[in-house]
Amino acid sequence: MKVQILEKNGDSIRFIIDGITTSLANTLRRIILSEVPCMAIDDVMIIENNSVLHDEILALRLGLIPLKTDLDSYNLPEECECKSELGCPLCRAVLILDVKAESKERVVYSKDLIPEDPKIAPISDKIPIVKLAPGQRIRLEAYARLGKGKDHAKWQPVSACTYRYMPEVSIDYERCDGCGECVNICPRKVLDKSNDGKVEVRNLLECILCRDCINVCPKDPPAINVNGNKESFIFYVESTGVLPVERIISEALKIYDKKCLEFLEEISVNLNVSKKDENN
Amino acid sequence: MQEQGSRRAIGSGLKNEGDYMIIPIRCFTCGKLIGDKWEEFIKRVKNGEPAGKVLDDLGIKRYCCRRMLLSHVEIIDDLIKFYGKRDVKNENRR
Repeated sequence: MKVQILEKNGDSIRFIIDGITTSLANTLRRIILSEVPCMAIDDVMIIENNSVLHDEILALRLGLIPLKTDLDSYNLPEECECKSELGCPLCRAVLILDVKAESKERVVYSKDLIPEDPKIAPISDKIPIVKLAPGQRIRLEAYARLGKGKDHAKWQPVSACTYRYMPEVSIDYERCDGCGECVNICPRKVLDKSNDGKVEVRNLLECILCRDCINVCPKDPPAINVNGNKESFIFYVESTGVLPVERIISEALKIYDKKCLEFLEEISVNLNVSKKDENN
Repeated sequence: MQEQGSRRAIGSGLKNEGDYMIIPIRCFTCGKLIGDKWEEFIKRVKNGEPAGKVLDDLGIKRYCCRRMLLSHVEIIDDLIKFYGKRDVKNENRR
């Protein structure tokens, strides 16, 4: 297996994994989407709310606010030792919102959410939660906890996680007469003509395997061929900002590791049981 | 009239305006955070910048996220005016 990082800017990363199967690539994608935990507000205790948004809508909006996640100091509630429905300081974080609009309209922003643990804070200060008319007030306590994407999309640490086959473009120079039809039709400008009129591949990674170049080629059979390499993948992962992307990927692999070990253990236990049955 | 026309241009295509009262926090489709970009977006668009360019500047690449801002109408502003007036009236009565 070979990994090559193509680009990393801020919360997103693009890399090539060479030498794995589609099923493994898809496993990685699905674990990132549905199993990597992150923090989100789950329960909300509304003490006062006379804004134009109903309590339920308000709670849903709060839940969707991405919170910076500290995976090392918090447990998943179902794995926490406290076994309590309300949670303990190890499996939940409290945020308090108390805002009143006095004589003017006021927008309640995510920065008004005061976290008890400063590590669990909204990733952006400028998310509008609700607008208050003069005299309206909101007072609530929000409980954030770790959760998984398979339970609710608010616990999904990524806003995009995709892979596609590595493109392979081959040109048969013995038959290609350099008419340039394929260069003109390519929507991603993968192909270009060199100075001596030869068709060349310039941005291979941009190719989306649309096969327009094959269809437009006047030669029969076409002098150009495009294929996806089914053992090489271009991955794109974009974090919502709750966790750094590298952490999301390494956490996904850790979860995969744990699942495999669990499976192995279960299978060996069952094998031993059946052996004992045979001996008896 | 002028003001209404400009608002149509930014938030056309809504059938039931009560559907999104205030800018959604995340993109409905992919889950990217877009709520915090609304105020800058609408300010710049009202100042005459082309919406597409503003979206590019804000780093909103996918069309699922772009439609969130492009097609949004902030209804809550109209509602709040109504509530504000009512509260002032009530205070006067007391």
